[in-house]
Amino acid sequence: MRRAWLWFAPAMVVLVALSVYPFLYAVDISLRTPSGYGLSNFTRLPTDQFFLVSLWQTLVYTAGALALEFTLGFVLAMLVNREFRGRQVLRSILLIPMLLPPVVVAVIWRLILNPEFGVLNGTLRTLGFDTKGLTWLGAERSAMFSVILVDVWQWTPFMFLLLLAGLQGLPVEPFEAAVVDGASRWQIFRRLTLPMLKPVIAIAVLLRGMDLLRVFDQIFILTQGGPGFATETVTLYIYRTAFRYWNFGYAAAMSFVLLVAITVITRSFLRILRQQPA
Amino acid sequence: MRIDLESLSKNFGATRVLRDFSLQIEDGEFLVLLGPSGCGKTTCLRTIAGLEQPDSGRVLLGGRDVTHAEPRDRDMAMVFQSYALYPHLDVFENIAFPLRVRKAGAKDVERRVRQAAERLGLGALLQRRPRELSGGQRQRVALARAIVRQPNAFLFDEPLSNLDAKLRVEMRAELKRLQHDLGVTSVYVTHDQAEAMTLGRRLAVMKDGVLEQIGAPEEVYSHPANLFVAGFLGNPAMNFFPGRVDSDARAFVAGTVRVPLDAAQLDRLPVGAAVTLGVRPENIDLGRTSNDGWIGGRVYVSEAMGNETLVIATVGEYQVCCRTTPEARFDFEAPVWLRLRPDRLHFFDSATTRALWP
Amino acid sequence: MKRQSSLEKFAGPALLAGVAALTLFPVYWLVTMSIKQEVDQFAVPPLWISFRPTLEHYYDIFWVRPFATYFFNSVVVAGVSTVVALAIGTLAAYSLARSPRPGLAFWVLSTRMFPPIVSVIPLLLMLRWAGLLNSRTALIILYTGFNLPFVIWMMRGFFAEIPPDLEEAAMMDGETRLGALWKVLLPVVKPGLAATAAFCLVIAWNEFLFALIMSQTDAGTTLPVGIAGRVTQYEIKWGAMSAAGVVAMLPVFLFASAMQKHLVRGLSLGAVKG
Repeated sequence: MRRAWLWFAPAMVVLVALSVYPFLYAVDISLRTPSGYGLSNFTRLPTDQFFLVSLWQTLVYTAGALALEFTLGFVLAMLVNREFRGRQVLRSILLIPMLLPPVVVAVIWRLILNPEFGVLNGTLRTLGFDTKGLTWLGAERSAMFSVILVDVWQWTPFMFLLLLAGLQGLPVEPFEAAVVDGASRWQIFRRLTLPMLKPVIAIAVLLRGMDLLRVFDQIFILTQGGPGFATETVTLYIYRTAFRYWNFGYAAAMSFVLLVAITVITRSFLRILRQQPA
Repeated sequence: MRIDLESLSKNFGATRVLRDFSLQIEDGEFLVLLGPSGCGKTTCLRTIAGLEQPDSGRVLLGGRDVTHAEPRDRDMAMVFQSYALYPHLDVFENIAFPLRVRKAGAKDVERRVRQAAERLGLGALLQRRPRELSGGQRQRVALARAIVRQPNAFLFDEPLSNLDAKLRVEMRAELKRLQHDLGVTSVYVTHDQAEAMTLGRRLAVMKDGVLEQIGAPEEVYSHPANLFVAGFLGNPAMNFFPGRVDSDARAFVAGTVRVPLDAAQLDRLPVGAAVTLGVRPENIDLGRTSNDGWIGGRVYVSEAMGNETLVIATVGEYQVCCRTTPEARFDFEAPVWLRLRPDRLHFFDSATTRALWP
Repeated sequence: MKRQSSLEKFAGPALLAGVAALTLFPVYWLVTMSIKQEVDQFAVPPLWISFRPTLEHYYDIFWVRPFATYFFNSVVVAGVSTVVALAIGTLAAYSLARSPRPGLAFWVLSTRMFPPIVSVIPLLLMLRWAGLLNSRTALIILYTGFNLPFVIWMMRGFFAEIPPDLEEAAMMDGETRLGALWKVLLPVVKPGLAATAAFCLVIAWNEFLFALIMSQTDAGTTLPVGIAGRVTQYEIKWGAMSAAGVVAMLPVFLFASAMQKHLVRGLSLGAVKG
């Protein structure tokens, strides 16, 4: 194709202006300190208890939600991987949560989880349970669990749909051959399904993981990082630093740490996956 | 319109697809480009079309330099191997597309599309979508789209290769007649030698981006310019015997194969140098008894084809393919005798591969 | 094949029905809250089905509160940014599909994998310098940038599935390459284009972080920010919030049907979430 670059040029301009340039600009901002250019924004990071806690909580949030979503999604996908009536309907229903604006999801769950007026505690009370201790998003002990629960509600369908598509994309012949060869169901699952599904699993976990590591909207509406500091993730802490304390330099430095963390985690995940014998 | 290709060169990465390639196509001529896959024939066609740009060299259309002109400025019609019908348009609109692009009037479009469709027997299918058509019908739509206007040239890129064998033979005849009636300069790319032999007024054989030989099909078949052309044209292929000329014995010798030579041949062929003898399967006589000067061998396998019988015989270190009468039947390992018809022998220089005789 | 045990026969569908119910219930609850009178909203036991419906909350958000403005802002921002991203991205995608450059394609994708929080500060400063804060234009520009890599990757895939013969035929028939793209290729990839557009609309419609930071006044506030701004206040009007939530999620249902066919491809490119 002649002059192919010309067709790409407008996109290139937009991408450079809105992606490359801001990135370089962010590097510049992170190096600015009250006393000229320097690394003090970065050297301060390891001593910042709030930052370290938010980092830890990001990992807890990501790992918890990822584990639950993957397990539930996989089990569901294995169950649904056969013809039955209403499968299209189920697919459409499962699509709903992940398409909803995160803000709306957060509003819904604040309605449901409200300790005094929420439908969850209301129902439990009607059934005769004592809900005094069940404050969900309101208590430091249960807040993290609650925000994870909301994410599980919204994003398990994503895992499910990707894994189901993966399962349905598998060729039929190897499974028929295995049945003829007398393999048990567990053996078929362990030695055929899992290894053949590995690329799809990798993509699903990776995408979800990257999204979870940079979570903002939901937690921002659900708890604002609270109560106290219980659900503060790195992105929320960066937001607070930048737009409540107006410390752009430090916020930019933290965002680079997040970027590096995401990159490292993604890379090592891919490496582990590749090393495992298929 | 007349098309001249002047020393075209084209590389794809390290692959040299066209090397200093020159060709003249006369006005109204039907020229066939034949060669194995990867020989550059399709690139050559696409360069004429303007879909590829040569790295160097020129393309002249009616004497005008169009080397860097866009396809639309060359006004040629092309029929693709895949037909490339527009899936979102019905047959009528597919055929009408080139006219619509040129903003032809509605009445004119209607008339010319109907005319082209009738010519190709598509009258009843005008409202169908391409996916509702058979392969043969799609092929006809692609042709109709080409003939709906009077282009400077028709370019055919293996247009029949996706049809089944019977349909291909029918369409081949149809196409030849169509081009004769319309009289538009046509360039036809194929790897099928039956198409090449039957369709073209001239046949150009290509290999590795180089023109090996060009001429009338009979001429190229009966006087191949080199070993490649000799081996590529003809099915089954010409038999080859690499050997040398023995002037004392007044014969060509290749292992156990001895072929007597006449004075004229002896005069032309280099004595002692490496020479390859070629002879087509239909130019070998096959007998069950020995005659003077015949070569003895054994039947390796015999294949009755219905209209002929092919016998592959082991002769010394060679396997020789012979074409014989349909009634002939030979057992495995039956002794046979072969006579290579002296007036139908081809000799090539083994080193340069060029033809030495005839 | 093995005979299915009765457990499998019934446990599977029952479980799935349960999953469907769990998935739908929160959405259903939001809808009921938006049409319940305030006295009914927090009744114990909760009023599941029987309550006296009212549209007062919808009246409230559109005529008393500025949600009509927010809604309009969201529609304009999502719509325009999607059209621009599709226009620019389609050209780039076509170029990548026909003259493949794996390095460039990968770079495009990697720009999307960035956490938005990294670029939010520089972009804020850039837009402030350009005098575009508190405007729909700012968000249109930003969302175009968000969606562009996604459009390029989706459309590149769709174009790559179409043999080049098709546009070459159109070019032989007298079209320019751009004309061939417009008249032949785009109609052929229409379902894919629709799915891509739907994904872009949803991403732009749902986006929160940038909308929150770039707009402090109603002029550039989108629905999610408008809702959030009130949720986190002390006195929360739950009825109004629910009504706004329902309005914010309605268009998403409209787009869902266009996505169905190319859902998995879109999802695996990390669509839906910005």
